[in-house]
Amino acid sequence: MKSSFAIVANGDSALDIRFDASPSLELSERIIALAQAVEAQRWEGVGDLIPAYQCLTVCYNPLNCNNSDLTNRLESLTRQQLRQPPKLDRKPRLIRVPVCYDAEFAPDMREVSEHTGLSAEQIIARHCAPDYLVHMLGFTPGFLYLGGLDPQLHCPRKATPELRVPAGAVGIGGSQTGIYPQVTPGGWQIIGRTPVQLFRPQSETPFIAEPLDKIEFFPVDRDAFECFQQDSLEITPLESAP
Amino acid sequence: MTMRIIRAGLQTSVQDLGRSGSMRYGVPRGGAADPVAMQLANLLLGNPPGNPVLEVTLDGPSIEFQCDISIAIVGAQFDLALNGEPVECDRVLQIESGDRLTFGRLLSGARAYIALAGQMKLPAIFGSHSTSIIAGFGGLCGRAIEKGDAIEILEARTVDHRRLEGEYRLRYTRHPQLRVVTGAEENHFGREAIDHFYSQTYQVTAQSNRMGIRLAGDALRRGNQSQVVSSGLCPGTVQIPPDGRPIISFIEGQTIGGYPRIAHVISADLHLLGQLQANDRLDFTPVSVAQAHKILEVKSGLLERLMAEFPGNDN
Repeated sequence: MKSSFAIVANGDSALDIRFDASPSLELSERIIALAQAVEAQRWEGVGDLIPAYQCLTVCYNPLNCNNSDLTNRLESLTRQQLRQPPKLDRKPRLIRVPVCYDAEFAPDMREVSEHTGLSAEQIIARHCAPDYLVHMLGFTPGFLYLGGLDPQLHCPRKATPELRVPAGAVGIGGSQTGIYPQVTPGGWQIIGRTPVQLFRPQSETPFIAEPLDKIEFFPVDRDAFECFQQDSLEITPLESAP
Repeated sequence: MTMRIIRAGLQTSVQDLGRSGSMRYGVPRGGAADPVAMQLANLLLGNPPGNPVLEVTLDGPSIEFQCDISIAIVGAQFDLALNGEPVECDRVLQIESGDRLTFGRLLSGARAYIALAGQMKLPAIFGSHSTSIIAGFGGLCGRAIEKGDAIEILEARTVDHRRLEGEYRLRYTRHPQLRVVTGAEENHFGREAIDHFYSQTYQVTAQSNRMGIRLAGDALRRGNQSQVVSSGLCPGTVQIPPDGRPIISFIEGQTIGGYPRIAHVISADLHLLGQLQANDRLDFTPVSVAQAHKILEVKSGLLERLMAEFPGNDN
């Protein structure tokens, strides 16, 4: 992949490595591989790494890490990384997430239906069709930034956000779809709810997915929603491309 | 060996210096909103600077101790009483079993820290005892403390009397200058908007908390290229949402943001955000990244000097 990049200050204790390319699977692989490479250097004073669609944020402690040294080291490491295909230290997985699209969990289905001109059945079928790419986690603990929503399902956010969206609510906001991990205010159109917990701080596996994993939604009825156990979450290795 | 909460106060929570390495999962660093005051309280007791403390917000608690222990309170100024008798902050307080500590009127600042010569018996999550009030984990059951809670204290001890002097006695103004460096998306704003940002005095709104500080003031006009692809968001970042009024991301803020970033509060001044209360005024003053690092070195040097003066009590 040919790609240019720039290293830009993100405040006085973080640097952004920004790539000049549109969000894609290839770019996310590049950014995750770069994050792993930075981590492997174990540079003193380098702390949190935050991958995003087009950017890797590298946080550092200015007291024991010199800003211009770090910029130079990141620059040469990024150049070196761009000369080879991205090397990833884990195989991505497919995670199947049950969603109950029953009316009681889908207060905004009518709104989405009116906006898209599709019936609820068609919306559910289209929402469950793709394997969504996890570009990154963030916003709130365990929230997944998913790529791959059917353009026919794009739907504007609400003009006035709801004060309280329940945990597990599945929504559409603009060109994005996602699951609210916690009870929060939110402006997405809610079309269903998953019983899967996206953030379990006490568990050995607090998060259901990592960047580059894929998520597939599948419809379940109210009984299956109620009976769901987190340890029955279906997780399989993604087939590598032929 | 416990402390019993008689009155909880507005939002009293267990905090330390927060987490590291979890922002990529959307878990913010968290920890004390004013880590300088929090570390000073610990240093008075000879504790490691990041020993878990109670963070008191605006309206303080009333606590009964069921052990002999030394404590120290640093940060926002409150009328403090021990068994009804006035006591002072910024010094070691000797507590005997049965004593009751009560927070009265707030005099200045917003958050005070109660450090203990001992350890609260609580589990660590992601390597930290800090309470994430918004995401509901850490500290005591992932929430602020409530009336009737009892927190067990391990290894309670008493230490020699010490007090903070001179520049270590923190006092807070209701109109601070916050120093900032150029924002990652400053080029999304016209010259006029940037000048307006630096020349006006903002006011802290009541919609401010550990997640973010929302400011009232004249709306800033954003440029044409206001679409920003979401990326890593760090505490202290000043974002301009569509309504043109700044939000300063704070210690429990989102880890990914998509509003243009006009400026970033420098690391050395982040602790001042923890002492802002509603209706406080503030101005932004630009400095270079190199200056920001110099200021941080000076402030950290002060803490290090105190650490050398106040050696640990642990053998």
